[in-house]
Amino acid sequence: MLDVANLVTAYGKIEALKGVTLQAERGRITCLLGPNGAGKTTLMMSIAGILQPQRGSIRLDGTDLTGLTPARIVAQGVALVPENRLVFPQMSVRENLLAGAYQRNDKAEIAADIERMYERFPRLRERREQLAGTLSGGEQQMLAVARALMSRPSVLLMDEPSLGLAPMVVAEIFRIVAELNRDGTTIFLVEQNAHMALQVAHHFYLMEQGRVTFSGTPGQLAEDEVIQRAYLGARRTN
Amino acid sequence: MIDFVQNTIDGVMIGSSYALLALGFTLIFGVMRRLNLSYGPSIMIGAYLGTLAYVQLSAGPAVVIAATVIGAVLAGVYVERLCFAPMAAGAGIASMVSSFAIWMQLEQAAILVLPHHTYPFPPLATGAPLTLGPFLLRVDHLITLGCALALSAAVQLLLYRSRFGLALRAIINDPVAAHLVGINVRTAVMLAFALASAVGGIAGYLVLATDQQVTPMFGMWATFKGLIAMMIGGLGSIPGAIVGGLVLGIVEAQSQWYFGPQVRDLFAYVLLFTCLVLRPGGLLGEPPTREPALGRGRA
Repeated sequence: MLDVANLVTAYGKIEALKGVTLQAERGRITCLLGPNGAGKTTLMMSIAGILQPQRGSIRLDGTDLTGLTPARIVAQGVALVPENRLVFPQMSVRENLLAGAYQRNDKAEIAADIERMYERFPRLRERREQLAGTLSGGEQQMLAVARALMSRPSVLLMDEPSLGLAPMVVAEIFRIVAELNRDGTTIFLVEQNAHMALQVAHHFYLMEQGRVTFSGTPGQLAEDEVIQRAYLGARRTN
Repeated sequence: MIDFVQNTIDGVMIGSSYALLALGFTLIFGVMRRLNLSYGPSIMIGAYLGTLAYVQLSAGPAVVIAATVIGAVLAGVYVERLCFAPMAAGAGIASMVSSFAIWMQLEQAAILVLPHHTYPFPPLATGAPLTLGPFLLRVDHLITLGCALALSAAVQLLLYRSRFGLALRAIINDPVAAHLVGINVRTAVMLAFALASAVGGIAGYLVLATDQQVTPMFGMWATFKGLIAMMIGGLGSIPGAIVGGLVLGIVEAQSQWYFGPQVRDLFAYVLLFTCLVLRPGGLLGEPPTREPALGRGRA
């Protein structure tokens, strides 16, 4: 279980996370909703070790990840698919995947895993020698997911994988999310697209202004009137 | 016409040492997106170590080369630890300014240890130049050219065929994503500095062995030549560094022949200026429109 407790992360004096506590359980899909500026990406970057939290702790099955370098955190089996994908634009699709396996030394297994990624994402096979910067947004998102999977993570963090993508591509991404989860990967997902998230996630958190303001099942989420209005766009029927 | 061709040949030879200087510079810039003004002075420290071995111990060429390269690498890593590693993302100016301060420090250190202005540096090859039809080729120039070609090919191979190269290219592409795939970016950057300084050390050795003397001003000279060649070729581009160095060498050789040594540097700066106006990204670089990758990725 990924266990975040009382996490405080600040940019200078401005606290973007004001004591965040939440859990992502093993084998499940946990989804974090929230408006822009709520601190969702800050939380993801803190878990991945890119940002250093001021207080609080991040634990994975009891192992303390707080303050570790990003490389150490990857070694512990946590991989982040970052917001805006951040593929390596001047490197080919295949090199991006190789970079994803940077900490591994098993050459044959890496090659086999790349083959598996091509099977899961056939578009990546078609474009394997193409520079990642020339891919479409959807293809780059697939590549970002595949690159993160190359480290064989047990927990996959995904920061707004549907951002700026066409509805059909979004559906494809969520199909893959569900598939990865069935194969045993724990998924912690940040989303603004609550409709899609409702179809796959097992547990929801809502974050506003650096704090967790709701925690509950999809059923509870759908029943909450405030959330309905803000995130599901439901109209009130008088 | 014969003059023009001979000048071009000389320019290519001299330019190949500029190309090597730019190669080291561009490695650092590509990885850090920051300017290391102390790059030349680190090489000068190596050269002083080389000349110290030569003057005090009458060491042979192999020892002088080794001392120059090792000294440059140590000084380069010193600069990285002091001016680059501690500076936060977005503090590129702090790195540049502190590298200027260390430049002054290194220069004064060299003057303290070896207080005369000029020290001898052992020549690489003596003897008559080779003749090729009406043209003359100096042996030490040919060695420099050969080293430049071999080293740039080796760096290119390292970048595109090795695990370390994959890590460096990932950092050049997107430092945040490089962290996220588990690359130890701080270590890789330090090793890149060491590698760049080693290339610079070899470049410095070749230049000084041709000049047969070294002064503390060599640091400034190396930073200027490397910087101009890199900017002409394109920041962070390896083929650009080679092309930029060769173009700079040829322009300098021609202008020196036709207009005299006083205006040679003037032409170098005019070339740089023209380049910056017409192709701000350099001959082989990309136009500088993309924002630095470190600025992205927060909400």
